[in-house]
Amino acid sequence: MGTISTAFSIMTQALDADQAALNVVANNVANANTPGYTTETPNFQQNQPLDVGGVSYGDGVAETGATSVRDRVLTERLNQQQQVASSTGSRLAALNAMQTLFTPDSGSSSATAGDISSDLTGFFNSFSSLESNPTNNSLREEVLSSASTLAADVSNAAASLNSQRSALDQEASGVTSQVNSLTSAIAQLDQQIRSTSPNADAGVLEDQRQQDLSKLSQLIGINQITTENNGISVTTTSGQPLVSEGQSFQLTTGTVGGVTHFFVGGADITAQLDAGGGQLGGYLTARDQDIPSVLGSLDQLAYSVSTQVNTLNNTGTDLNGATGVIVPPATVASSLNIFSAPPGLATGSVSGSALAMSVVMTDPSQIAAAGAGQATGDNSNATAMAEVANQAVVNGETPSNFYANFVSELGATVSSVQTENTAANASVTQLQTQNDALSSVNLNDEASAMSTLERSYQAASQVFNMLNTLMASVLNLGEQSTVS
Amino acid sequence: MRVDPNYVTTLVGSLDQAQANQQQLTAELSSGVSITSLSQNPVASGENVLLLNQIQQDDSFTQSTNLVTGQLQVADSTLGSVVAQLTQAISLATQANNGTQNASDVKSVSNQISGILDEVQSLANTSYQGQYIFSGGQTSTVPFTTSNGNSPGVTSYNGDADVNYLVTPNGQKIQLNVPGSQIFLGSGSNSVFGALNALVADYSTGTVDTSQAVSDTSALSTALGYVSQQRVTIDNSISQVTAAGDAVTSAKTELTSAQTSLMQADVGQVSTQLSLSETQQTALEDVIAQMESQTNSLFSKLQ
Repeated sequence: MGTISTAFSIMTQALDADQAALNVVANNVANANTPGYTTETPNFQQNQPLDVGGVSYGDGVAETGATSVRDRVLTERLNQQQQVASSTGSRLAALNAMQTLFTPDSGSSSATAGDISSDLTGFFNSFSSLESNPTNNSLREEVLSSASTLAADVSNAAASLNSQRSALDQEASGVTSQVNSLTSAIAQLDQQIRSTSPNADAGVLEDQRQQDLSKLSQLIGINQITTENNGISVTTTSGQPLVSEGQSFQLTTGTVGGVTHFFVGGADITAQLDAGGGQLGGYLTARDQDIPSVLGSLDQLAYSVSTQVNTLNNTGTDLNGATGVIVPPATVASSLNIFSAPPGLATGSVSGSALAMSVVMTDPSQIAAAGAGQATGDNSNATAMAEVANQAVVNGETPSNFYANFVSELGATVSSVQTENTAANASVTQLQTQNDALSSVNLNDEASAMSTLERSYQAASQVFNMLNTLMASVLNLGEQSTVS
Repeated sequence: MRVDPNYVTTLVGSLDQAQANQQQLTAELSSGVSITSLSQNPVASGENVLLLNQIQQDDSFTQSTNLVTGQLQVADSTLGSVVAQLTQAISLATQANNGTQNASDVKSVSNQISGILDEVQSLANTSYQGQYIFSGGQTSTVPFTTSNGNSPGVTSYNGDADVNYLVTPNGQKIQLNVPGSQIFLGSGSNSVFGALNALVADYSTGTVDTSQAVSDTSALSTALGYVSQQRVTIDNSISQVTAAGDAVTSAKTELTSAQTSLMQADVGQVSTQLSLSETQQTALEDVIAQMESQTNSLFSKLQ
């Protein structure tokens, strides 16, 4: 049978439960702006009923702690999208830096410094001008000076690309230490979670683990797998373990072929990271694909132009009546070279040609405007060299067409990565909104919960008060004055 | 339904976007160029390279035409003078051949024709900017010398038969010179110097072998005709260069306008976009300000 004391006890528990719930609300409000914090809801639980003489009486309420409101699938999707967004973001930054080297020339008359396209045209035009007066020294000087401009601009662009590449290399290897500190933090948290909360959400610890996973997702591409006892395993997208069974595996770096490579254990996972996502993936894609491809095009251009022009100039007759002595390609100098011979000339390899492009001829009279066996007033070789501009000498295209296609391709790459990045960011924003709607602290909700709990606390106090009065009546047995 | 309580962050993101957009538009307005990086319009960037390439080629060709026109005109006027000299030589010879002149007159004709020979030779040795224009490719060699040891004298050619061409941007080849041997030492009766030397010898003694002299005079007339024919080649080149120059200039005008419409910013359009973007920014700022100024939760209502 229920007694007034039982009712007192029930009300005391209700007051305790409300206070505990108010604590949860207060904690939510306090952490409203804490990064990674997941809003918590108090759990009320009905106490076991008392069974007295076959009749069951309710035994009040208990607050059994707070539950974090999270959707792990949503968080994981957010992390995955974050990997794509970071990867395209860092690749885009690198590509944007690259494309500034090839800014489109706007003016029709004034050539911008560093504009390889107008340098190319200017160079071949100087031979066209030489046609009109092949012995004129100032026209010859013009050929050498436009050759120097071309060579300097190509070589500068290649040098800038190389320095961008090594900057990316450094940034990429800088990511390693952040990844390692995050994976060891995750491993530690994982151990704690598995020992303290094997069967339920681990609350704050889980918040921290999720926060670290989200940071890790910005850096590299990862997969996460939930294991027993609420633990997780983290692998790279290619399946190389980073965290497993509460233990982290460190990412190490080493130099292979002049660039930084990444290892887990003994395995070189650079290529997999490249495609994996995250900031590191973006850096590596730019470093290992985008820059080499642009450099390759410049190399091809430099190689073809300089070998074609050198070959022609060596076969003609210069102003001194001399014809070039063509030395077999392995050695550097044929006697009438205008450009330095590309470093890979002996093997036909174009690599490094752009960086090495320079003008070796100093005496303009060595320009062989006259054809082979012709007197110095002939212009047939100048015509032939000017004609290179219209010949398919660079990968089956004319130099100008090749360069035009090259800038179009580069622009298209940048533009498509830009689109990918915008889409990935939009998707991240959307998922972030969904996740925030679910998991972040909503002050309106907290205010309403606060009022509800306050009211329920007031009600419990009121009941307590009435019980008190009732108890006093019982004790006084009708004598109102003795106990109040 | 739950909502994202952090929506102000999204608004600030949009505000950043609007500002970046304005920065881009302002840059377009101030530079007048609509494409400031390759990724903005990859296809136009490629096309721009080709257009500028053609425009520059046209520019350069226009300069070349100025250079060669000078040389061609000198060649033309030189040949004009040669024709005048030869005409005079023919009339002198015709006088000497009609049998009315005495020995001293005939000798004097011989001297006069010899003077004409020297004059024609010096014309044939004309140079332009230090280069002999009738010596083929050997522009630093005096093309014609006459040895006076023999009678008749022999004028020999020291140049070669090389012909230079100027290639126009659309591939047309324009002949820039005619080798001196072809003009002045044509084969058979087309040789100017041969005919002149023969006439000098014919009249040098004072007695005229009329049939020989008449035949040599007629050879000179043939040679004169031949020089005029060669002169036509030069004249043709002049008109070709002029025509090509004009064609290139008009092509350049079209190319420039194509390039301009490709690359230049449409000021009206950009200004409108800028103004729209500014309106958007102001609206966003107002919204954000209002959100921030409200004590934006139920807590403000709790007493």
